[in-house]
Formats: sequence, structure tokens, C-alpha cells
Amino acid sequence: MMKLIGWCFVLLCWMNVAQAANIQEANFDNGARLVVEEDHSAPVAMVQVWLKVGGRDELPGKTGLAHVFEHMMFKGSDALKPGQYSKTIAAMGGNDNAFTSHDFTAYFETVPAAKVDQVLGMEAERFAHLSLGKKEFSKEIRVIMEERRMRTDDDPNSHMFEELSAAALRLHPYRNPVIGWMQDLKRLNIEDVRAFYKKHYVARNVTVVVVGDVDFKHVKASVAKTFGAMPDVKVLPRFNPKEPEPLGAKRVNVNLPAKAPIVAITLPVPVWEPGKNDKQAAALAVATYILAGGRSALLQQRVVDEQRKAFAVSAGYDPFGMGLDLWYAYGMLGVKQSTADFETALWAVLNQMGEKPVTKHQLQTAKRNMVASQVFAQDSLYLRAKLMGRLETVGIGAKHIDDWLKAIQAVTASDVQHVVKQFLRPERATTGLLIPKSEVKS
Amino acid sequence: MIRLIVLVWMALTIQTAQAVPVIQTATLDNGLRVLLIEAHNVPMVAMQLSLPAGSRFDAKHKAGSAAMLAAMLSDHTAKHDQKSWADWLDFEALHLGMGASRDTLNMSLTVVKASLPEGLDALSEALLQPGWNPERFKILQEDSVASAIKSQESPNVLAAQATASLLYGQSGYGHVSSGTAKSLKDIRLQDLKALYREQIKPQGSVLAVSGDIRMRELLPMLNQRLSVWKGKPIYAALSVSPVHAKKVQIKYVALPTSQALVQFSRIGIARSDKNFFPLFVMNHYLGGGGFGSILMEEVREKRGLVYGVYSYFIPLAGQGPFVITLQTRASQAEKSATVVRNVMKSLVAGEIDPKRLQATKDNLMGGFAQRMDSNRERVGLMAMIGFYQMPLNYLQRWTEQVDSVTVADIKKMAKNYLQPNDWNMVQVGPVKE
Repeated sequence: MMKLIGWCFVLLCWMNVAQAANIQEANFDNGARLVVEEDHSAPVAMVQVWLKVGGRDELPGKTGLAHVFEHMMFKGSDALKPGQYSKTIAAMGGNDNAFTSHDFTAYFETVPAAKVDQVLGMEAERFAHLSLGKKEFSKEIRVIMEERRMRTDDDPNSHMFEELSAAALRLHPYRNPVIGWMQDLKRLNIEDVRAFYKKHYVARNVTVVVVGDVDFKHVKASVAKTFGAMPDVKVLPRFNPKEPEPLGAKRVNVNLPAKAPIVAITLPVPVWEPGKNDKQAAALAVATYILAGGRSALLQQRVVDEQRKAFAVSAGYDPFGMGLDLWYAYGMLGVKQSTADFETALWAVLNQMGEKPVTKHQLQTAKRNMVASQVFAQDSLYLRAKLMGRLETVGIGAKHIDDWLKAIQAVTASDVQHVVKQFLRPERATTGLLIPKSEVKS
Repeated sequence: MIRLIVLVWMALTIQTAQAVPVIQTATLDNGLRVLLIEAHNVPMVAMQLSLPAGSRFDAKHKAGSAAMLAAMLSDHTAKHDQKSWADWLDFEALHLGMGASRDTLNMSLTVVKASLPEGLDALSEALLQPGWNPERFKILQEDSVASAIKSQESPNVLAAQATASLLYGQSGYGHVSSGTAKSLKDIRLQDLKALYREQIKPQGSVLAVSGDIRMRELLPMLNQRLSVWKGKPIYAALSVSPVHAKKVQIKYVALPTSQALVQFSRIGIARSDKNFFPLFVMNHYLGGGGFGSILMEEVREKRGLVYGVYSYFIPLAGQGPFVITLQTRASQAEKSATVVRNVMKSLVAGEIDPKRLQATKDNLMGGFAQRMDSNRERVGLMAMIGFYQMPLNYLQRWTEQVDSVTVADIKKMAKNYLQPNDWNMVQVGPVKE
């Protein structure tokens, strides 16, 4: 009976989540793309402009360059004075912002639906005619350094994770921080910025995503006149080197002023390539959910509640990266908890998962929650647009959203066991320790 | 012409009416108020139960009691031990969460529509059948203490603690809701039981619901599960003794960072204050509106001193805090603080730009629909409206209240609230030479 109810639940949610059917797309001759999902429940729209450019497209010594644009795009264009972009969006009752990762840069606005045309026009104008003045850049690069100080340099935990990623990978660009190394930020100049702009800010790298109270045909005509009308500039394939397989365990100790230690492990694992490794990627996602999702998460139960080796524990896998993902798990330790004991306990859980299949109950719980999370994500225009934009930009395609849920549904206990045994092994791991350094008294 | 105006007016009203969802209300026999906004676009239901048991009710020297009570109620029940409780909630995909803010202890539930009955079973079991397991209390307490120690790495946490103490001393708002390592260690299980016994009552509490459900379906489900819950709290939800303003102070907190966090603070207003809207618009003009705000323009855009600078005030049952905060390289802290003080002085002197004020209001009014375009946001708004006993047409009247704020109102608010000498300052970072 339980099983029957379980399936009804999953199927019921499944029908409600299926999103691909509502996605409408258009391609323009110059390579720009448009993806729209109409939702007429509130008179608002989310406009996101996604670019196939991010930290991975930077040359050595020029880290942080992709993220510089997240700032410079608000510093004026032919038609708009510095700051005027945001002011205009604000005056229409909108919010605007941007985010940058290794794989993409995205600019987004939430606006009253009636303003979508105007926003698209402004986005296209600044995209094609950015000012990139020397004076604005010299001010903005200082703001970026403050951002780095705040987010990384003064946060011992982020700082440790930055060192850990750098130690874990040899070739893959995920080894560099998106915000850039401080040493590089200090040397970037406006010529670097202009060259990067010329190379990457072209129509072929653009996907426009609109979710909300809009009409697809209307938006399509609007994008045709803006992003669709830009020159067709060829782009080169993106930098995506094959990371060599780890040859043994690595460790990095980070000594920083801190109040308590953190231990993290990270391992390179495959990302999802639709039709090629559905089972593998979905099994990694399910395994990670069983380890770290919800209240009954295995790591929480074993390592925190039963064995008391940490006060908090987490793990994460991102199936939508490019080339690989750095799978991670970490524990936050109390002052008296031992890092060695934590590592032993963590690996015992992972090893056991590789030796013994998870229970049907665990498997079913994971699947139900992963489907339910998709339902809850439908509640946010921002999250819906973000998922579509991301899938487009990394080369998966927004239309494959439903295939991911199907792949999750198909995962078996033995699939989970197999991927854990294959990938989550100590000899493939890089371990990072944040070791509290006694505070320097001034 | 008149006809045209009427038509335009009607069009505007209709547009606004469409954008503002209607709040339905009901009161259960036990006195619990229920607020609902229907939204049938996603097959889910979200809710929040706000109870008058926030951290302002923490026993003396036991800061963090309300947060610990929330952790305990959420962790297990009399019927389910921690493991079976976690297994059941996860198996049914019931997202049940709890936490404490200054005034309220909040229980939240998010479920797919089909699991609403199980979700309400879980919520009522957590609420009405606490387990009080001493072993689990010990574990949760140890982990909270460890977390509080770890949090001392964060300049934001250190600043929040110092600011709360400067503004409110030993009174209810004088500590952060999560408590400190020391105060958490001193909490005993009976402290939590006392808080539960005194304050976890239906009268004065509010259940805000948004999602794919109708009131006539919801009420029988609630009555069936919550009718045994009865009574009113010892301390009424909204009764707070008035705050006595303390001497303004400057305080330095040492932390080995490259930046300094500078936080200005003063006492703000209660939720019931008639000046809420003028102050709200003034704050948006000052530093609450992101890139549209004057502080962001002066400190970041013009001078490149910070990544962010913000101002906010938190209207509570009593007078909540009003805060301005920024982070900058330690050597620039003084310069940045001076820019902030100069902005305050200019507003006090009446230098209000009518165009900027209009832009501020346009931003707020145009963005109103976005403040409630998800179930999570609607639930938060309704819980606030219900708990603080705001009028039910609060959302309908919101836009006109913002629109009616004038330059004269802003001048008055600036004069009353932005005198630099009335503000405390906390600086967290490298110790001053």
C-alpha cells in the first residue's frame, strides 16, 4: 500500500512539474536565442540575459575579468549615463542585478510585465554600446576589491574553500575564483576589459530568457529588433580542458584566524550530458540527496547525531556544470572535536554507501523530495528563469528539464552504490582543513 | 475631459485591484486567527504560524531560549523520536521549519497540495505534543554553542550583538535571537518548558496561508487538528514596555580582518507607529533602495569606497532598531563614516531632491506586485499583517500610502531620525592604533 501511495505521489507531482511543454524558443540568424515561459498569474515578468562567458574564458593572469562586467555594465553606454540603467529600471518599479560564474554571466530584471519591451531595448543597447571608460573602471575595480575582501579574504571559511578548489584541480578553470585572485585584480587594466568585451559580448553568446505575464510572439518580435539585429560575429569553442584523473589523495592546510575548524573534501565527478550519462549523473544527485538532503540526511544522522564528530555537516553536487563538478562534503567542528575523527567518520559513511545498496525507503524519499523541490521552485519566476538560462548556457538545453526528472525517477539502489564506489573514493579526494590560527594582538 | 479622467482613473484602479490579492480571514474557536491568500497557479501550499514567543521573551541571561525552543519543537515529538520524525517528514516531503525572531517564534510548512493533510498533522503534532527528550536537548544545546562560537568569526554577527546591546541593554531586544555561547550554555530544559507553557497559545497567534487551497477546505482541517489547543499567553503579543533611549556610544570590537564593518544605529519605531510610511519612504531614499539610494550613490558610486552600504529599520511590537551599515578596507573606515554622516546632515538640513523622492516612490509603487508574487512572500506579509494587527486592507492601501508621502514629510522624518549625534557607532575590525 505504501508503495502505491508513493507512486501516486510522485506521478501526481510529476504531471504538475513537467515544464518543457510550456517552454517556447526562437533562434535568430546571428546566433542569439530566446526562451520564454508564459505565466499569467501576476502582472510581472522576469527578464534574464544569459551569456556564454564566465570565469573559464579568462586567460592566466586575468582572473576576475568576466565578473568585472557585472559591474561595468551599469557604468554607462552610448545612450545611458553611468547609473542611469538601474535608475530607469528602478523608476519602473523594477529590480535589476547580475551574477557571474565560471560558466556564465547573467543580467536580470524583475519588472511590471508592460515594461518588457523597454527593458529588452535597454539591455541590447548597453550590450552593444558599452562605454568602458577608464575613470569608471578605476573606481569600480576598487569596489570589486572590497567585494573580494568582504566575501573571501575576511571569511576564513570561503578562503579555505578557495584554496581547496585551487589545490584539487590542475587544468580545469574551476580551480580559479570567479571574483579573481587579488594579485590579478590589482593588475587588470581597461585595455584588458575592452578586449574581453569585443571578443565575448556578441550575439552568438546570448540567450534571452523571459518568464511571466508576456506573449511569446510579442517578445520574439521585440528580441528580433534588438539582440536579433546585432552583427553575426563568429565565436570560438569555449575553454573546456579534460582534467587528468587524480593520482592520489591531496591535502591542503589553511591557517587563518578563526574560532573553530572546518574539514572539507572535494572530488571531481561527471556532470550531466543528456542522453550520454543520464544514469550516472542522476545517481550522483540522488546519492548526494541521501547523504545531505532533508532532516534524515545520512551524514547528519551518523556523523553529527550519533557519533558527535561535528556540529554541522553538508555535501553538494551540481549536475549542470561544464566538463566536471567538484563534488564536496564538509563538517563544521566544535572546538573540542578532532579533524581526524571527523574524516574517519565521513569516509566510513561514504565507503559503506559504496559497499551496500541504499534502502528502498531512502531511495524513494530522495526522489520524492527532489520532485517536490521542483514544484516549490515553480513558485519563483526568478528560479524558473535561472534554471532555463543555465541549462541553455552550459549546452544542455532548457527543453531537457523534464528529462532530468525522468532520469532521477529511473535511478536504482545499485546505480547509487555504483557511482559512490566509482567516484567518491579517498584516493581521488583533496582534503582541506581550516586550522584556526591564534589571533594576532595589535 | 472629465469622462476621460474617470476612464483613466478606472483603468488604474482595475489594474491595481488585479495586482493586489485579497486576504481572507477567519478565527478558529480557540482564538487563532487564520489569514489566507488563494493562489492556484502552482499545486502547493505554504504557511507560517507566528506565535508570541520570540527572543524578547528569553529569560534573563538566557538569550537564545526561544531559538532553542524552536529547535526542540522541530526536532522530535512525544509520539515520534528524532529519527522516526525525520524519516516520516522526509518520506512525505513535508518541509517543516521553525525559528525565532525578536517578537515571534515561527513555524513554517511548505507542501505539495496533495500532502496538505499530512503536513497539517505534522505541524499540529510539533506544536501540541512536544517531546522534551533530555538527550536530544543536550545534543541541540552543544551544537548551538559550537555554532555560536563559530559565528564569532563573522563581523556581521559581532556588530549585531554590539548594536543590540548598545540600543536596548538588558531589555528584551538587547540580544540577538540566536544567543551567545555563554547564554546558550546556561539554558535548561525547564526554561524551554516554561516559555512553551506561557507563550505558545492560540490567542494572539496568527496562521498565514498562501497557495492552492480555499478557506472552506482549510478550516475543517485546521479545526480537526487544533481545537484542543486553547488559551492566551501570559504576556500579550504586542505589549512591550517603552524603550528608554540610552546615551549614544562609539564602540570598537577587535577582529583580525582587512576590512572594518561600520554600523550606525539608533532606536526606530514600533509597527503601529503612524509615521511608518513616511519613514519607510525616507529610508528607501536614504539607503534602503539599493542603487537608487543616496548612500549607495555617495559612498560606492561616487567614491568607490564600499561594495555595499545599506540602511534599514525593523518595526516591531516595540520600537525596533534603525541601522546603517557598510564594510570597507580598514584604512577607509573613517572616511566612509564621514560620508555617511554628511549625507545624514544634508537630509536633516532639508536638502531633499523632489525628483529623487519621486523616483524612490515610483520604485516602491511599481515594485509592489513583486513583493507578493510567490507564496513564500505572501505568507510573510500576511503573518506580519496578522501578528501586528494591521488593517486588512493594508495591501490595498499600500500604494496610496507611499504615494501620499511628500517632501515635507521626508524633511520632518530626516529631522526627527537622522541627527548624526543621535546615532551609536560600532566598528568591527582591526583594533584602532
